[in-house]
Amino acid sequence: MRLFRWGNALEAFRDLQQEMDRLLESVNLASDGLRYGQPYPPTNIYDAGSAFLITVELPGLNASDVEISLANGVLTMKGERGANEGVPGDQYRRCERPRGSWERQFALPERVEEEGIRADLRNGILVLKLPKSPSTQPRQIPVNGGAATVAGASGGEGQGDV
Amino acid sequence: MSENIPSTGGAEPVDPRTAQRWVRTPPIDIFETSEGLVLRADLPGVAPESLELQVQDNRLSLFGRVHAPLEADAQILHQEYRVGDFVRSFILSDDVDHDRIRAKLADGVLELTLPRARKAEPRKIVVQGGEPS
Repeated sequence: MRLFRWGNALEAFRDLQQEMDRLLESVNLASDGLRYGQPYPPTNIYDAGSAFLITVELPGLNASDVEISLANGVLTMKGERGANEGVPGDQYRRCERPRGSWERQFALPERVEEEGIRADLRNGILVLKLPKSPSTQPRQIPVNGGAATVAGASGGEGQGDV
Repeated sequence: MSENIPSTGGAEPVDPRTAQRWVRTPPIDIFETSEGLVLRADLPGVAPESLELQVQDNRLSLFGRVHAPLEADAQILHQEYRVGDFVRSFILSDDVDHDRIRAKLADGVLELTLPRARKAEPRKIVVQGGEPS
């Protein structure tokens, strides 16, 4: 089970992935097939301003083959591509296309409007649109000035974990 | 094996709709039937009108252009596949009947039917006898 989180953890993950890509490219191994542990199905996540977009490559599946559910802020997608599509195994000369059942989970950030999520599967690409909730606008917090004596003892502690 | 050939530069593609396009090798299956061969290729994101198939001499080549279903200003946050066009070519064996090749694209999967050329059927020759008079 894979759980995916938005926020700082994501940044760290992306940095790591880029670092790995650089490393692999430097030894000329950076092709899709050679990176072990590649999650299936391949999924991209975009920030499109007013919404997050999740795109998933699912060739050969139609809408009834994919099940998407949402519970406790976790989005679960699962589906299956049938083995061999009725063709006996000994008739294959080449067999590269992945098949089988899969499941992926994504923890939604709090700023997503769950009621407005839409999913659309076309030409083998699933597009999930997750509208951001309007409460994500930046809010000004007024700073009250006080006596200078309080600040000295705990100074800097609050900024330590950025 | 699959290969990624960046069409421009090596930097991370941020916007799939800009000029920076990737070329990808689609995974395929080939199996035999009683009539010939069937080839299936995964081409997610390719619509029937943006797929080109060409047979020249014995080489069948496919080019599928992918149109990303995204707004132009979408910023990538997490990437597991690169948006790019699908390119692959195959050498057809001599017994494939080029004129009867059929192609179908549905849900991002191409199915190519490559029938074997019909062997010459044994043909009976009718012998006409002269009418007895």
